[in-house]
Formats: sequence, structure tokens, C-alpha cells
Amino acid sequence: MFSRLTPLLRGLLGLMAVLTPLVCGEAAAQGAGAAEVPLDRAAIAAGLCTDAGDTLDRAADALGDASDDDLAFLRRITDALMGRNLVCGETVAIKSGGGTVDALTGAPADASGKTPVLNLRNRASAENLGAALTLLTPSSASDRDRALRVLARRPQGVSAAALARAAEAALDDASRAAIEELAVVASLASEDVSERIAAVEALARTPNRRNLGRLEALKGEPAYEGDTAFRDAVDAAIGEASTWVRIADALSVLFSGLSYASILFIAAVGLAIVFGLMGVINLAHGEFIMIGAYVTFMVQEVLRALAPALVDWYLILAIPFTFLVTAAIGVAIELLVVRHLYRRPLMTLLATWAVSLFLVNIVRVTFGTQNLAFATPSYISGGFTLIGDFIVTQNRLFAIVFALVVLAATWLILKKTPFGLNVRAVTQNREMASAIGIATRRVDMLAFGLGSGLAGLAGLALAPIYNVNPLMGTNFIIESFMVVVLGGVGSLAGTLIAALGIGQINVLIEPIWGAVAAKVIVLLLIIAFIQRRPEGLFAAPGRRK
Amino acid sequence: MARLTRRSFVTGTSALALGSGILPMPGILRRARAQDGPVKIGCLFSSSGTMANIEGRLNDVVKMAAAELNAAGGVLGREVEVMVSDPASDWPLYAQIGRQMLQQEGVASLFGCWTSVSRKSVLPVVEQNNGLLFYPLHFEGDENSENVVYLNSPPASSVLPAVDYLMSDDGVAAKRFFMLGSDYVWPRTINKQLKGYFESLGFDSSSWREEYVPFGFSNFQSLVQEIRRFADEPGGQPVVILTVVGSSIPDFFREFANQGIMATDIPVLGLDALEADFEGLNTEELVGHLNCWAYLQAVDAPENETFMKNWADYVGANNVPYPPNVVIDPMVSAYDGVKFWAMAAEKAGSFDVPEVRSAFGGLSFSDPSGYNISMTSENNYVSRGVFIGSLNYDSAFDILWQSEGTPKPVPFSEFG
Repeated sequence: MFSRLTPLLRGLLGLMAVLTPLVCGEAAAQGAGAAEVPLDRAAIAAGLCTDAGDTLDRAADALGDASDDDLAFLRRITDALMGRNLVCGETVAIKSGGGTVDALTGAPADASGKTPVLNLRNRASAENLGAALTLLTPSSASDRDRALRVLARRPQGVSAAALARAAEAALDDASRAAIEELAVVASLASEDVSERIAAVEALARTPNRRNLGRLEALKGEPAYEGDTAFRDAVDAAIGEASTWVRIADALSVLFSGLSYASILFIAAVGLAIVFGLMGVINLAHGEFIMIGAYVTFMVQEVLRALAPALVDWYLILAIPFTFLVTAAIGVAIELLVVRHLYRRPLMTLLATWAVSLFLVNIVRVTFGTQNLAFATPSYISGGFTLIGDFIVTQNRLFAIVFALVVLAATWLILKKTPFGLNVRAVTQNREMASAIGIATRRVDMLAFGLGSGLAGLAGLALAPIYNVNPLMGTNFIIESFMVVVLGGVGSLAGTLIAALGIGQINVLIEPIWGAVAAKVIVLLLIIAFIQRRPEGLFAAPGRRK
Repeated sequence: MARLTRRSFVTGTSALALGSGILPMPGILRRARAQDGPVKIGCLFSSSGTMANIEGRLNDVVKMAAAELNAAGGVLGREVEVMVSDPASDWPLYAQIGRQMLQQEGVASLFGCWTSVSRKSVLPVVEQNNGLLFYPLHFEGDENSENVVYLNSPPASSVLPAVDYLMSDDGVAAKRFFMLGSDYVWPRTINKQLKGYFESLGFDSSSWREEYVPFGFSNFQSLVQEIRRFADEPGGQPVVILTVVGSSIPDFFREFANQGIMATDIPVLGLDALEADFEGLNTEELVGHLNCWAYLQAVDAPENETFMKNWADYVGANNVPYPPNVVIDPMVSAYDGVKFWAMAAEKAGSFDVPEVRSAFGGLSFSDPSGYNISMTSENNYVSRGVFIGSLNYDSAFDILWQSEGTPKPVPFSEFG
């Protein structure tokens, strides 16, 4: 959370370091807390350099009754420690913006010295302290949300006094309630039974496996045997929490399956059109996906250069470009290569495979083999907890929504436009369509373009989930063919249902027999199914031979 | 399994065709091992396939090391010529190209392989032809061939110290271990040894879990959910010991961060995770995860400064398609390999493998890791220092712990 502070903000903090003693000193002295103990700042600064763990704990204990000014100091120095901006030289200094300032006085200071590295144990203490300080000092709403999430992991890491103070300082009722809930949970080990029961009930209100474990641990305590009210509360809480945990588990399996299915679907839908219409086994399909991702990357870079304010929206703004560029490349390849091979469908396999090698190497030479750096827009980063342990990750959610949009658009094009009508006619019976005056070669070209464009869009949707490098296409080609063959060549509904089936079965098998077995079993299931129904789930009626 | 298709086979063979375009045609070769011409060394590093992103840059490091040797007058007065190939992450192809280089090109030594499965494929070839392979990766040990120089550390001097650190109070006092790896020899052997080690420390078999994924696996959603489930079970602090390789590493970390797990909840010890794996990844949510290597970019040593500067200059001057500011352990190890080979050849006064090999004992120099690394005459292992790194905001690793000196490598593990 602290690295989100831009250099500008850091500069401001540095400035605050200089000004606060002058401006706020008097105000803080008259401040609210009656038992305010001035913090030994020099000792804390020195302690962070020598014995970070103890010092952080000491600082955390002082949170309850430190002055606002001290809190601001603590936050500054904790931020610096976590962001590796603390310099331990002759004096303890903080790197901020371009320069280095003394941690205590805010005066420019010597930048030479070591920057301590937090080990994992101290990092946890620093995260707790940082989160508590975020709640206690003025900070942005998103930072406060993050801080609450950090504290919810380890509510016992912060003293009750600090939490009470944070609740008092909370800006709105929702966050006050959230903080109070944390305080209640922290009092699970309290002496007072009624407080413990309140804590048990609070735990049941956020049912997840960790809280369920905490509740189940209470069963072993003497109070569980001795006190009926307590026992009832614990039993009820366990019952309620375990139900929600089971529901959440089922939902997260469904969500994983659905998100994997949506990835399979967007990767395969372009192939389904091309394969279904022309019988072209397009081995360059994966490379169209890869090129789609690269076009998305270029849109991001252009935005970054021309309109930095819009960079966050590059995924949306890139949609038309990605579609048009990959469609154009598809049309070009159809005109140059595929067109000449319609009479020899197996030859298209070799030709498109050559195209795929060519495209991979072109991209390798132009961009190199390293993974591209995509900015992660806020709307697809991280995730949110819906219930229990069911975390909806936003990049997967984006993929699902995107797949639905692609599905709707493709369906509209195929069913509601004259072009779609032609495509369906050619797919069903090329000779007959030709006889009634449909320009089948033109339909082929446009359909190949549409399929390639859809592959490009798949690349766009996959860029926030997978690594983008010249070889990413090879990962998708096999899965795409599995979906298309299982679904029935050229059938949109078949592609959709096959993707859903493969995605869901994969997710169900993986936890039981492992990821390797899941791939094998899915493949065997597909082979067995194709044995029974060679034309796949939904066969295009005209093409059965 | 799904990837063992005609396509991957055909890709492999074509890459061979492409590769042989890079190599001179056998028919127009100079006579092998001419006494006066340049001396050839061969590279076996993939610049395509799942290992491409990280393995490919080792070709250029070997070229850079050779250029340095040549600038200083060559080895035994002869210029060093580097032959580069692309085995395309296709393990049998390593053996095929290796054989070609040894038999037809007469290379004085081979530098190559990243995954243990590729090394295992090349092993019979170098043994039959009495060649010399310098292998720059840390690996599972349990192998000791006089035809392979193991430049990096076996598990006893890299993985075990890192696991010890995790189990210490300075680490996280780890009690439970989720071992996730790619499905091949390195992760399976490492995990077998770790299980033996945990057993010897009195851990119960319920305190670990093993999962394997295919090469190039990318859909880590349900596995990360399994990790969360494992972590929520009672029994103490969980950690993930990650032995997936190649493009799976960034995919895993991305999903890990997405599901809101922080390093302070469940730390990941990435045994093959390098600075280069985090290129293009937002590491803000991943700060604190660990790795262990014999070199980290953050090393504060003059040798490291020189090496990093030389690499940046080399990238700039030769238009190498890799970032100039990222240096990873296997790059340093490959560089060390060329240096050891040159030192041994100078000491032996010959490029012949038996003589070069007998000159290994006692060789030592200060490499970019800041340690004085050395070879013994007992086996072809190199004594290296060990670092444990902690991932920071800049996709690099800070040094959290480093070994006192260079532990003597133990090739064979006593744990399983």
C-alpha cells in the first residue's frame, strides 16, 4: 500500500516532516488524549535500524495514546522502512523524492548508509503497524480499505486501545463498524464471558475457514465444558460458519470452472468459425491470439506516450484496434496462403503452421522473448471476497464478462446479419450456396478475418491473466482444438458447451488427482466421446458425411 | 500430456532445421580441432519454447565471456569461437545438437542445459564422446559424472539452508509445506529429499503436500485455492516450496497475488524464481517472497559491479534482445564456467578433456557473487556461497541472508 504513494506524495510527507512540528506542535499538545506520552522518536528511529522486530512491537503498543504528531512520524518512518527508503547511516534518514531527509528533523541529510531489509516476521509486524497507522492518520479511502483487510488477517496484532482509537477516528459508519468488529474479534481471549460470546458471534458473521478453525479451537477450552451459554454460542457459530464455508467452497469451484471455460471459449470461438466454414485447420490460430495481445500492448504504449490519463482504460480502448489489426492480418493470410489450398485441406495444416512459425519469429525479432509489462488497471487487479473463502478475482471476472460479450456479438453477427446468413449457408453446403449466387470466396475471406479478429480479442482478454510473450499462442492451440472438435465443427453453441464442460471437469478433477492427471483424463474423455459421436456435440447439419 | 502432440514434435524438428541453419553445414567444416585456428566451444541453451525467456540469455553471456577472453589474447594463444544453437526446450534435441557439436564440430567443451531433464538427456552423449559439459543451474544433486562440471550448488548447500531459514524464528517458523512443482526429475527429487529431511527433523507426513503440474502449465486458479485450503488447516505456519519452471513461475505468482495472499501470510520459496521471472509483473503484492541462489543481483561487490556493467555494455553494443539491467544467477554461473574452463585449459596447456579435467583441482577466483569460488580435485563440483533473497518492489531480490563462506558441495543427498 505504501508504494502507491507517488514520489510527489513522498515529497509532501517530507515537507510535512519539516512543517508539522511548527504548525501542529501546539495543537497536538492540547490534543484529545489525556495520558499522552511523548514518543521517544530517536530511540525508535535507531531501533528500526538495529532491532526492527522489538521496535515495531514497542511502537505498536504506543499507538493507543501517542499524539497525532507522533503518529504521523511513526507512519512516515514505517512507510520508509517497508518501501526500503530508510537509510541507516550516521543519522537515520528517509529517502523522499529526489533527496534524503533526516527522519527526526526533516532537514536534508547524508544519503550514505545501509537500507535495512525486513525479514518476513518483522514484515508482518510492520504491515500491522502500517495498517493501524493508516487508520489513525489521514489517508485515502482505498488505503484505509486495504489497511482493514490487512488487520482482518491478524486482528490480534494490534492493541485494543489502538483499535478503539481508530474506530473513534473513523470517517464513516461502515468503516467504524468494520474496525469495531476487529476489536471484538481481538477480544476472543478476554476474561469476560459475555465479551467472548460477542467475539464468537462476530466470528460467525465473517464465516471463513480461518475463523471456523478459531471457533473449533474453542471446543477444547474449559469454558466450553463449564458454561452452557458459551457452549451454545460456539456450537451455533460453528454450525452457521461451516454451512457458509461449504457454500463458498462450492461457489469457488463453480467460479474457477466458469472462468477457465470463458478463457477456453474466447480462445476457441475464432477457430470454430474458421474450421467450421472452410475446414481449414488453422495452426496459426494461437499466434493470432498472441498478436492480439501484442496489439493491446502497443495501444497501451501509445496511450502512455500520448494520453497518460487514459492508460487505465487501454484494455477497453484497444478492443477495436485489436480486432481490426488481427482481422486484417487474417485476411492477408487468407489471400496470400490459405486461398490457394482449399482443394487440399490437409495442406492448409502445413501452410498455417509455417505461418505460425513465421509470426512467432517476426515477433521474437521485433520485441524479444521477454514477457511484456502490462499495466494492471484497477478494475482487473486483485479480487474481493464474496462470502467465506470465495474470492472473486477481477481479472477472471473480466474474462467471463468479455467472453459473454464476445459470445453475444458473434451470435448477433452469425444469426442477424446478411453476412452471417451467407456464412451459415456456405458452412452447410458450399456448392449450393455458390449456385444461388453467394460469393463463397468473399465469404471465406471475411469469415477468416472474423475468426482471426476474434482470436485477437482473445489475446486482449488473456493479457491480464497470462504472460504475454511470442510463444504464448502455442499454449492455446491444443485447448482450442479440443473445444472445437468436442463442440462440433462450426457450432457456436457446441463451442460454448464444450468450453463449459472441459473447464468445469478440469477444475473438479484437479484437486483430487492433480493437474497432470486432469489434463490426461480430460483428453481421454474427449477421445471416448469423439469415438461415440465423431461429429461432436452439435453437428452442423449440412456437413455430415 | 496434452502437449505431446504432433505439433510439438514437428515444432521440435523444424527448430532443428532452423538450428542447423545457424550451425555451419557439416560438409564445409574445417578439419576438427585444427591446431592453429580458433578453438570452439558450444552452447546448448533454448531460445524458444517454455524456457526461452530466461534460458536464452545464457547464450549471450557465454559469448560475452568468450569476447572477454579473446580481448585478453584468447586461451593458449587461440581465439575462442562460440557456437550457438536452439534446442527449443525440447529435451531430446539437446542430446542431438550436443552430439553434433562434439562429433562434427569438435568443440572443446559444451556450456548448457537449464532443466535437469535436458541435462539428463545430454549426459550419455558427453560420456560416450568424453566431452565436457559445464552446467550452470542449481539442481537436485544425486549425480556425479566426470564429464559434467556442476557450476551451481546441489540441494544440500542451497535448498536445505533456505528451508532451515524458513523454519527458523528469523524466517517464519514454518511448520507445514506445500510443495508445488513441474512434473519432472528436478522437482520430484528435490521434494523427495525435502520429505526425507522433514522426517529426519521429526515432522509428520500430514505436514506437507505435493502437487505437480505439466510443463508450461498456466491455469493456477484451483491450485492456489488448494494452497489457501491447506494454509487454513491447523498445525502451524504454512509455506509454499515452488519448483515449477519456465513460464509457469510468473503465472503462478500472478494468481497467488490475485487471490489476495501476501508473503506474510504464506511465503513462497521459489527455487527457480529469478529476477527475470518478474519482468512485466506488478510485484507490489508479492513483496517478501523468497528465493535462494548462489548469486543475487543485489550483491555488493566490485566484481558484481564490473559484471553488471560489462553485461549492460555487451547488450548495448550487440543489440542483444534481453534487458541490460537484469543479471541472474545462471548467467553468472555460465560466465564462471567459461572462466573455469579457460583457467583449466591454460593450466593444463591443452584443450583435451582429460588434461583439462585433471587441472580443475585448486582452481579458484572471486566471481560476481563476491565469494571466492573454488573447485576440488575430488569431484567436478564448485564451492559457491548461498544467498536467500526477498522480493522487493522493483522486481529484484534483496539479500536477506547469506552464508558465511562457501560450503563444500555434497553431491549425494542423505535424505531419500
